Amino acid sequence: MAIPKARGQALAWVLGGSLAIIAVAAMTQISAGSYGMTYRQAWAALTDPGIWRQPAALLRLLLGESFARAHKLPEAQPLATATLIVWNVRIPRVLVGLLVGTNLAFSGSILQAITRNELASPYLLGVSSGAGLAVLILMVFFPAWMGFVPLAAIAGGGLAFLTVYAIAWKRGASSVRLVLAGVIVGAIAGSLHTAIFFYARDVNTFQNALAWTAGSLTGADWRQVRLVAPWTLLSAILAFAGARSLDLLLLGDGPARALGMSVDRARFLLSAVAIMAAGSSVAVAGLIGFVGLIVPHVVRSLVGSSHRLLLMGCLFAGPALLVSADTFARLILNPTQLPVGIVTGLLGGVFFLFLMRKRLEFGRP
Amino acid sequence: MRGDVSEIKGLKGEHLRVRYDPHQPFVIDGETMRAPHGRISALIGPNGSGKSTLLKALARQLPCELGNIVLDGRDIASYPSFELARKLGILFQERRAPADLTVEELLRHGRYPHRRLFESFQPEDDAAVESALRMAGIENLRHALLGQLSGGQKQLAWIAMAVAQSPHYLLLDEPTTFLDIAHQFDVMDLLVRLNRELGMTVVLVVHDLNLAARYADYIFALSAGKLVAAGAPEKVLNEDLLRSVFEVEARIVRDDVRGAPFCVPVKRAKAAKEPAQARSLEGETFSARGERLIRFSARTSSAG
Repeated sequence: MAIPKARGQALAWVLGGSLAIIAVAAMTQISAGSYGMTYRQAWAALTDPGIWRQPAALLRLLLGESFARAHKLPEAQPLATATLIVWNVRIPRVLVGLLVGTNLAFSGSILQAITRNELASPYLLGVSSGAGLAVLILMVFFPAWMGFVPLAAIAGGGLAFLTVYAIAWKRGASSVRLVLAGVIVGAIAGSLHTAIFFYARDVNTFQNALAWTAGSLTGADWRQVRLVAPWTLLSAILAFAGARSLDLLLLGDGPARALGMSVDRARFLLSAVAIMAAGSSVAVAGLIGFVGLIVPHVVRSLVGSSHRLLLMGCLFAGPALLVSADTFARLILNPTQLPVGIVTGLLGGVFFLFLMRKRLEFGRP
Repeated sequence: MRGDVSEIKGLKGEHLRVRYDPHQPFVIDGETMRAPHGRISALIGPNGSGKSTLLKALARQLPCELGNIVLDGRDIASYPSFELARKLGILFQERRAPADLTVEELLRHGRYPHRRLFESFQPEDDAAVESALRMAGIENLRHALLGQLSGGQKQLAWIAMAVAQSPHYLLLDEPTTFLDIAHQFDVMDLLVRLNRELGMTVVLVVHDLNLAARYADYIFALSAGKLVAAGAPEKVLNEDLLRSVFEVEARIVRDDVRGAPFCVPVKRAKAAKEPAQARSLEGETFSARGERLIRFSARTSSAG
């Protein structure tokens, strides 16, 4: 395939750099914390033969206790404390970070292409807030239904996105109108979020809801991994399948249609993929802002706007940003854990300022 | 002439009525035109006369409220979108492309309608891209980024993309507007090559009447959504038409390079008391060989 050489190299750098960041952040995340370990101990726990030699133990972790009971998996040998902490608490948190990072970066890439708007992201277009509202309603009013939280979040995100488009639409939706409409819908959803807090039955629910609104991976376990992983897989496959259509959309609706693409249908299906990715990550990690804005931007500036390369870069850079931000958020004020959304929000705010200045300087059409 | 290839092949719009908004008057109002197969046709007319609208309607890029378009003997509505894109390419004025796209990448997008979902780039796709680069004479720009190209080079790259699409019909909306004279020549010469060497039927909207007269085999003149004249340039371009349609007093001379009519505008004509399209124009145009090219009728009332 004719990938220009320079871009192939840039992509290799993105992948290599991201993998290095992920490796360092993940090892730090796994070893550090209130139960401190050296890297060597953490590695030993990670490679504990008690896990790897016993399929039953591994399956119990991956698929959950209820699955194990239902399918009568054999009991596993008891594990060392370090192994238990690493495998029950810290690894799933890293995994949820990887999956959510991928989802948000993919969602942002797709939304930026289909709205042809470099400011688009699930957070700014109201998708996250809509998904969040659905999750909060479920969390506070229907706690028994929490197993359906990804579906509810995706539905809420989709509804919010339709509303944003309906508000912004005036013979096409311009960049600025879309973002403004996203801010409006986000503000409405935000005040509803706060309103729902007052209906929380107990302090525990209240605290959960609050931490979740700020975007947090605290307490993420294998259940969260199981909730989000299928959606990550599905949306990533669909995004790669749509890469060529995303490229074509960047040429403009007219040229894309002239090349035989059903522009409206493609845009609808691709936004569904973006909402699926963003909604499912909101369902497990709450409102983590700006990852979907920053990652596609940085990757695009390195590998160009061809979506095959862009998505490939996002597949690694998204997790790298989220996992390192989460490690930072968890350990910087030890023993207090910051929600990761606060770190990405600070990072994103600065980045947004940088973007605004850049746009003024290079007022390219 | 039943069974004649020229009767089956071709792009023909019949009784077309197009508008952008159901509360507005029709932009194209009941027109019938047939783009002569294997020739270059130019649509001319003042701003707002509906040239671009007619072009887009012929390419199924705009819905027609009434009338139908026949492409190679089949109703254009019956074509699946990929099949249509393999047969007919259209180049718009409004378009954008990421500045970091290379010319070659842009051309590869032209192969979109020839590929299935996960199908990789085939040798024939490569061949089509190469031949389009060669045809447009931009092989040396293959790796250039679109953001670095001049307006003229960019236009050639976009036309080359449409060529890589390998359509039999190529429709272009004002391909020479905003270009310097040298690049206007580049573009028009490219269209002539596509027409002569690949047998493409070319239909273009063009503002420069002299360019149209020199390069087009046929000219269609539009005024306020009505086709008011059609035929060979020397038949269509005359002082009456320029006065009534373009509202200029002009003299038509022969350019002594190609013998095409050449119009020298003198001054703005006084606005006619009756709009040009209110005159009843009806008739048919015939080619030199006597085949009927177009039948047009304009029984309009002035806008009201």
